[in-house]
Amino acid sequence: MLSTRVLSRGLLRSARPRSTAFFTPRRMITTESIPASDASSILAAQRLLRPVSPHLSIYQAQLTWYMSMTTRITGVALSGVFYLYAIGYVLASPFGVDMSVANVSKKWGELNGAIKTAVKAPLAACFGYHFWNGVRHLVWDTGRELTVRGVYRTGYGVLGLTALSTLGLLVI
Amino acid sequence: MASTLRSSAAARRIFAAAKPTTSAIRLLPQTRVAAFHASQRNQILPPGPQVVHGTVNDPVPVPTPSASHGSYHWAFERIIALGMIPLTVAPFAAGTANPALDAALGTALVLHSHIGFDACVTDYFPKRQYAKTRALMVWLLRASTITAAVGLFSIQTNDVGLTEAIKRFWRA
Amino acid sequence: MASLRQPTLRLLASSNIRRVASPTIFNTTRSLATLAEGEVAQKKQPLIKKFSIYRWSPDEPTKKPQMQEYSLDLNECGPMVLDALIKIKNEMDPTLTFRRSCREGICGSCAMNIEGTNTLACLSRINRDASSTSRIYPLPHMYVVKDLVPDLTNFYKQYKSIQPYLQSKEPAPNGKEFLQSKEDRKKLDGLYECILCACCSTSCPSYWWNQEEYLGPAVLMQAYRWLADSRDGKSGQRKDMLDNSMSLYRCHTIMNCARTCPKGLNPGLAIAKIKMMMVQSA
Repeated sequence: MLSTRVLSRGLLRSARPRSTAFFTPRRMITTESIPASDASSILAAQRLLRPVSPHLSIYQAQLTWYMSMTTRITGVALSGVFYLYAIGYVLASPFGVDMSVANVSKKWGELNGAIKTAVKAPLAACFGYHFWNGVRHLVWDTGRELTVRGVYRTGYGVLGLTALSTLGLLVI
Repeated sequence: MASTLRSSAAARRIFAAAKPTTSAIRLLPQTRVAAFHASQRNQILPPGPQVVHGTVNDPVPVPTPSASHGSYHWAFERIIALGMIPLTVAPFAAGTANPALDAALGTALVLHSHIGFDACVTDYFPKRQYAKTRALMVWLLRASTITAAVGLFSIQTNDVGLTEAIKRFWRA
Repeated sequence: MASLRQPTLRLLASSNIRRVASPTIFNTTRSLATLAEGEVAQKKQPLIKKFSIYRWSPDEPTKKPQMQEYSLDLNECGPMVLDALIKIKNEMDPTLTFRRSCREGICGSCAMNIEGTNTLACLSRINRDASSTSRIYPLPHMYVVKDLVPDLTNFYKQYKSIQPYLQSKEPAPNGKEFLQSKEDRKKLDGLYECILCACCSTSCPSYWWNQEEYLGPAVLMQAYRWLADSRDGKSGQRKDMLDNSMSLYRCHTIMNCARTCPKGLNPGLAIAKIKMMMVQSA
C-alpha cells in the first residue's frame, strides 16, 4: 500500500504541466522496495503510535450516562461510609478508640447543626437517588420502559422522587 | 514507514512550491489550529498502545463459559437488589428493633456493597493491562468486606444493632 | 461536482474576482434552473460557520492531536455535515481524512462524533446557528488511524466471534429452505436493520473502558438477532459464549446506545432480552 502511494505521487508529479519548468522536479522522492511480508510488522508498529480519540471530555452531557454515573457514585459513597464505620469499629477498638454507637453518635450529636445538615443532606440525596434509580434498573431488567422515551420519562421521575425523599429524610 | 515519512516530506515540498496558486484559490481565512485540550498526560488509567492479537480475519477469543461469573451472578445480584427495597424500609417503619430484620438487612447490605465495589474493580482495572493493580484491588476489597462484616456482626451482637445505630446517627 | 475537482475549474469556481463580479459557476447553474433572472442578483448573504475538527496524522506520530478550525459559507454548501467535510476536503484542505461512501445512511462509513454525539455525518444536518462552532471528533475512545478515521479492527473481530450466520443442526425439513412464520420473522424487526456503524458501541462508557473483552451494544444486538431467530439451532452454544463476566455482563443499562443510534434501533433492549434469556435457560 505504501509503495502504491509513492507511485501515485510520482505519477501525479509527472502529469504536471511542463510550463512550470523553471522549477525542475527531479528525484524528490526516494523509494525503497518493501517486501509484502513486512506489511503486518509495519502495521503493528504504526498501531503502537496511534492516539486514543477523546471520550468522556467531549461526549455530550445526556441524562442516560450521567444518571448511570451518579448511581455508581452514590452507591460507592453510601457503601463507603458504611464500610469505613464498620471497619473502623473493628480496627480502632484495639487502639483504645471508642467506636461504639453510643459514643460516636454522642460526639456527632454535639456538632453544629449546620455541619450536621451539610453531611446529612448529601447522604439523604445519595440514598434517595440510589434507591429510586435502583428500582428503575430493576424495572428495566424485566424489559419494561427500555426505550429512549421510557429512559427519559423514568429518569425525570427518579429525579423528582429523589428530591422528595431527600426532603422527607431530612425532616424525620 | 521510512518511505512514508520521506515521501510526505517531498509532498510538502511540492506543496510549498505550488503555494502562490493555492493561496489564490482560498476565499476566506479558514484555518486555525488549536492544541487539543485532553492531553495524554491527564488520563487516569490510559488504555495503552494498540495491540491486535491475530490477523484482522480472526475472531476475538471467546472466554470459557462460567455461569457463576455470568448469568447466575447477574440473577443473584438482582435478587439481592430486589431484597434491598423492602429491607431498607421495613426495619425503620417497624418502630421496634427486630433482630431478624436487622440481620437480613445487614447481610444484604454487605453483599450488595461487595458486588457493587467488585463491579467497579472489574470495570476500571482491566486484567489484561493492570494485572497487579487488579489483583491488589480484588484482595483489598475482599479484606475490607470481611472486616466490615465482622464489624457489622459485633454491632449487631455487642452493640445496639444496625437499624438502631442508623436511627441514632440520623437523629443525633 | 466531480468536474470541480480539476484544479482549473476549481480555481474558476472559487476565485475571489469572479465571486465579486458575478455568482460562482455553482450558483449560476443552480439559480438559473430554479429562479427568475431578476432574483439571481439578490444573492444570499454569506453565512459563515466554523467547524472545529480533530486532526492527527500518522506521518507525524509524535505531534499531539489537534483541533483545526475551518470556516465555510453555509449558503454554498449542502445541508449535511458530510457535505461540509467534503467541501473542506475539496476546496480547502485535501489532507483532511474521513470515511464516506453512500451519503444516505446505509453504509455506516461516516460514523463520527458530531457536537458531542455519535452519528452519521451524512444524516446529520449542519446546525445553521453560525455563532456556535461545530465540533467534530472521531468515534470516542478508539485508536485513531488518521484524523476522523478510527481503527475498527477489534469491532469487526468481535462481530466475527459471535458467528453472525444461520447455524442449524439438521438440513431444512423440506430439503430446500428453512421456513419461518410471520410472527417469528417479526421478532427480527429492529435487529436486522443494524448497519454496524459502531456509533452505539463507541458511545458506551462500558465499551470505552473494556472494549477488548466486552462485546459492546452493536455486536450484542447482532448476537440477539441470531438468538431470536426461530431457524437457528445453536442458541445453546450462543448463550454459552456470552456466559462470562466480560462479554455480556459489562452492560450496565446506561442506554447511550439507544440514545445515539442513527438508525433509531435499540441495542439496550436487545441486551436486556439476552440477559432474560440467559436466566430463563440457566
